[in-house]
Amino acid sequence: MTTSSPTANAQSTDNYLTFTRGIKSWMFTLDHKRIGVMYLVSVLASFFVGGLFALIVRTKLLTPGEVSWIDADQYNQAFTLHGAIMVFLVIIPSIPGALGNFVLPIMLGAKDVAFPRLNLFSYYLWVTGAFLSVYALLAGGFDTGWTFYTPYSTTTETAGVIPVVMGVFVLGFSSIFTGLNFVVTIHKLRPPGMTWFRMPLLLWALYATALIQVLATPVLGITLLLLIIERAFGIGIFDPDMGGDPVLFQHFFWFYSHPAVYIMILPGMGIISEIIAVHSHRQIFGYKYVAFSSIAIAIFSFLVWGHHMFTSGQSELMNVVFSFITFSVAIPSAIKVFNWLATLYKGAIVLNTAMLYGLAFMFLFTIGGLTGLPLGTLNVDIHLHDTYFVVAHFHYVMMGSALIAMVGGIHHWWPKMFGVMFSEFWGRIGCTLVFVGFNVTFFTQFMLGSQGMPRRYYMYQPEFQTYHVISTMGAYVMALGFFVTAAYLLHSLFFGKKAPANPWGGRSLEWQCTSPPPHDNFSTTPSVGNPYDFSDVRWNEAEQGYEIDPNAVPSKDTH
Amino acid sequence: MIHLLLQAPSESTGQNALMTSAPVTPADFWLPEGASTFAPQVDFAFQFVAWISYFFFVLVVGLMIFFAIKYRQKGREAYARGPSHHTMLELGWTIIPTILCVFMFWFGFRGFIDLRTPPQNSYQIDLTAQKWAFNFRYPTGAASADQNLYIPVGRPVKLVMRSEDVLHAAFIPAFRVKHDIVPGRYSTLWFQSDHVTEGWNDSDPLKQKFHHFFCAEYCGKGHSGMYAKIFVLPQADFDLWLEKQGRWMDDLKGDELWQVAGPKLFGRCASCHSLNGSAGTGPSWEGLWARASGGAGSDGKLDNGRETYSSLIGPGKKFENPESYVRNSILNPGDHIVVPYGNVMPTFRGQLNDLAIDAIIGMMKNLDKFDAKGKYIGGAPIAAK
Amino acid sequence: MSAAHTSTDPTTAHAEHDHSHDPHGEHAKYPFLAHHFDSPAQQFDSGKFGMWLFLATEVLFFGGLFVAYAVLRMLHPEVFAYASHYLDTILGGINTLVLIASSFTMAMAVRFAQTNKRIPLIICLLLTLAGAMGFMVIKYFEYTHKIHENLIMGPGFYRPVDAQEATIAMTDPGEPAPVLKLDSSLGAPAVTPAAASQNIIGIPLPAMDRTAVVSPLAGPSGVVDLAGTPPAERSQYAEEALREVPTADTPHLLDPKLPVNTHQFFAIYYCMTGLHGIHVIVGIGVISWLVWGAFKGRYNSNYYTPVDLVGLYWHVVDLVWIFLFPLFYLIH
Repeated sequence: MTTSSPTANAQSTDNYLTFTRGIKSWMFTLDHKRIGVMYLVSVLASFFVGGLFALIVRTKLLTPGEVSWIDADQYNQAFTLHGAIMVFLVIIPSIPGALGNFVLPIMLGAKDVAFPRLNLFSYYLWVTGAFLSVYALLAGGFDTGWTFYTPYSTTTETAGVIPVVMGVFVLGFSSIFTGLNFVVTIHKLRPPGMTWFRMPLLLWALYATALIQVLATPVLGITLLLLIIERAFGIGIFDPDMGGDPVLFQHFFWFYSHPAVYIMILPGMGIISEIIAVHSHRQIFGYKYVAFSSIAIAIFSFLVWGHHMFTSGQSELMNVVFSFITFSVAIPSAIKVFNWLATLYKGAIVLNTAMLYGLAFMFLFTIGGLTGLPLGTLNVDIHLHDTYFVVAHFHYVMMGSALIAMVGGIHHWWPKMFGVMFSEFWGRIGCTLVFVGFNVTFFTQFMLGSQGMPRRYYMYQPEFQTYHVISTMGAYVMALGFFVTAAYLLHSLFFGKKAPANPWGGRSLEWQCTSPPPHDNFSTTPSVGNPYDFSDVRWNEAEQGYEIDPNAVPSKDTH
Repeated sequence: MIHLLLQAPSESTGQNALMTSAPVTPADFWLPEGASTFAPQVDFAFQFVAWISYFFFVLVVGLMIFFAIKYRQKGREAYARGPSHHTMLELGWTIIPTILCVFMFWFGFRGFIDLRTPPQNSYQIDLTAQKWAFNFRYPTGAASADQNLYIPVGRPVKLVMRSEDVLHAAFIPAFRVKHDIVPGRYSTLWFQSDHVTEGWNDSDPLKQKFHHFFCAEYCGKGHSGMYAKIFVLPQADFDLWLEKQGRWMDDLKGDELWQVAGPKLFGRCASCHSLNGSAGTGPSWEGLWARASGGAGSDGKLDNGRETYSSLIGPGKKFENPESYVRNSILNPGDHIVVPYGNVMPTFRGQLNDLAIDAIIGMMKNLDKFDAKGKYIGGAPIAAK
Repeated sequence: MSAAHTSTDPTTAHAEHDHSHDPHGEHAKYPFLAHHFDSPAQQFDSGKFGMWLFLATEVLFFGGLFVAYAVLRMLHPEVFAYASHYLDTILGGINTLVLIASSFTMAMAVRFAQTNKRIPLIICLLLTLAGAMGFMVIKYFEYTHKIHENLIMGPGFYRPVDAQEATIAMTDPGEPAPVLKLDSSLGAPAVTPAAASQNIIGIPLPAMDRTAVVSPLAGPSGVVDLAGTPPAERSQYAEEALREVPTADTPHLLDPKLPVNTHQFFAIYYCMTGLHGIHVIVGIGVISWLVWGAFKGRYNSNYYTPVDLVGLYWHVVDLVWIFLFPLFYLIH
């Protein structure tokens, strides 16, 4: 039951939000929690902008021919912007930057990340990248597709190409420094008693992600620099007219961009491990397997980039090798899904909003992952490459999985971050709208693709129209779902019930500090143990939340 | 189905080729009809993966829903006891998917090797891709006049592809083939179709059956318009058709040249030039002849304002007559750019011979006899194809 | 103290009191100790680990260029063998020695910081700085000399220098493409045979022959021999170029043995040595900051982390050059 009395809802005790006030205290903050909140706001704002471009694209696709309100050039810019914003401004930075920054040090038992000033710098690099992208839009836009394939990207007349590529370059460094920070934090700032195998699985996931960020992103950096130099000076490395090789760009690009997709999904999987375990009140099944599978995914992700290039003209031998290794990267993901499933077994499951997002993730990631299999199968990929099948596949894994996990994580940690509870009723409605809308939008695209509809098409053959209309309808439902979600979350900030320290019964360290946490994270010593051993957790009716029984005997690690 | 897996690449079967009109693989929920010898293999691999996927999807989601209902929290239960690990289970659900993946890889690999191994006796067709059209040139040197792909039935056909500018790709869903067309090198693609496309020579386009030939690598504004139809012809008909391509303009006399050939050729100009004055990547042909002949608009600026039509075209000037100007614009388009357009027109040297240029010039002179789409609508009836 | 303890850990018997402030007085004792670290050792370890990770990213960053080098060299080995003659091995060798020496002085600086020897520390840092600046000076001479000889990256490689008159046909889509109007500013368009295309700066470029890039001064046989080729056989650009009379300053254009695609060598040369040079400049900035800090007495045996970490950075910069030098200068 919510009250609207301000005193009941005000942050009456000192916490990180109220510790200091004023815009400068936020702009120059070194507090990882505040930096996380700034990332959250920025990333969600970008998500809505990127989503707007998606709606423009989907609306055009209601009809197969030319329309008067958008021409082919503008349409090409729209899908390029949608892709570039979503990939570089939203999905890659989102979970590490927003949720990771907030939760990681607390979960670890540390006071902050290893390099707080670098953390703030990472955020400002993100802002710079975002500004450069806006500037690129105003400077003439860019219509290259988010993949910037040469020679089109080095010869197209839209003048925003170099600014946006510079923006992405800067965003890459934001990502690298965040990853660097997380790796050092997890290695060096673990307090005594917090062994590797006592870390919650989100930290394993963030660690694996950070490794990829540090090792893969520099290659993107140099690729983008070479692209800029090629476009500005015509040096000829990618230009066949000058003795260069356009496919070389693809190799450079995908060497980063394939590991990048695991930067997107691994943290999401980490969140799901947390959500499923906590909201089932149960020890996660196969802790070590889930932990090691994150590392395995990180390693294998570097070995499979060529599966984006089966039709590019690379040698048949390379195609065969990449196809073979690609199947290997499917296995660790499957292991995770089975372990989450087994965690539900004999759990005490609560179907609140965060858990609904967790279950939605399992549904959507199963489809997304399984549809990667035909794309790894050589002769089938020849048919499916560059069709809507690929579009559907990556939306299922990037949006239906990574983004859904993020939204689930936002709900899971919302009470902790802002000290308020949101409306479960509206949460379930929002989740349902998003889930249904998403499936209607993107499942139809599998069929579109396998029936032969190519991607990045402004006009299309009339026989595909029915699928496109259904897909667009789904997009609008999904958009409605996101607006509903934004609405009730914003509403909760002003009118939400005060949150207890542990609304869900979690056992990892962040649930042992107040909601919101104090400035330096812990005012009393938390007790470290197996983060999934809920045996000493009990409901506290007065607080309307869970608590850890201080008299309970701490259990051994049972994983 | 094993024989499908071990099928060797088809060799030319000549008169023995199947000439039924039933497709090799009928269209279903997922896949369009399959009209090439690859389709059974590709579709089998697809279905193999699909059924494995259905199984695991039902298993995972089914169990998930079942558990979510059966193991609901009772009251405010804060601790549920359950197994924390089970090594045999972990091994099981690692090893079984691995084995399945090996099979998937194997089917894909076998099929792929076939896709990439054109037989020795393949019929070779050269494909040149440019923004935004495909041009097919046959071994006799003739090009496909209507820019569609005509192939003989029952023979392996190999496309040798090159690009004039940026990356393109050749994608034929019905044949289950695709390959990028990379500038600076030659790419090959091969297929064989054993089924004639019905009604290929029917004068009513609605009665024609054909397969789609798409560009599948984003190449800019006209990417979605970069398209050709594929017609599969019986060998004898194909030979006849081919012969006509080489000479298709030779038989056109007098005004027929621009009345018949003009619209066919205009197809490759249409992506940038309109006929009715509407804006495009290049100047509209409407009023072009007047401008070039010293009539209305002949003070239109070119070359950044340094020249006008009348300063360039006329006796004693760089171009003696408007015909020379138009001809030069087609062969050396960068020479004189109309303000405010950009220098983006590719040359058509090598693609359009003198007769073709004459046809285009004739069309420009008589633009009032064509509708906005380039269809001839005026004057005397034209000879049948 | 760290903010969390395991409740079964006997070594933390004092686990009950508040750990959010400074229980052992570490922060009071060490003013350089940041609030979120528990001990100087932890801070130093973290910093060092972070720097190694950053250097790993640098290695991968340069690694991409090394891969590009490998690909280009594999595709055009004759270009690399030929073009490396244009690089001055002596200057490159001097640069190599200078950088190695500066790495040595940097290592000494770290040692002096560790052992509280402030004046030797400052001297060594200044020597390192001198080495870095010396490197850049030599680089400056190398680059300007090449630019003067038109050994640049991009299509300008094929443009003869020293054109006396005329202005560039820049951003002028109306200009007929084949006309050779040039000045000696950098980045002017190349002039090559065949049909027109346009590069992104808006300069109309004749598109290139698909099979090879040859000097525009080459006649139909592909050989550049302006004076010796009969006028009828010279390419149209040769006529123009002859009016401009390329001087001995552009020997590469007059050399009939110039392999096609030689510009690729210079493209990768400038990219790699340029990126390296940028890192040297950043190093100059950071070492200067160290000099300032050393001057103010900030570094001592308790706290020499910045010196150590900058030292690591400087060694990697040196190491990259050690690879670049043979790969560009010593291919004979």
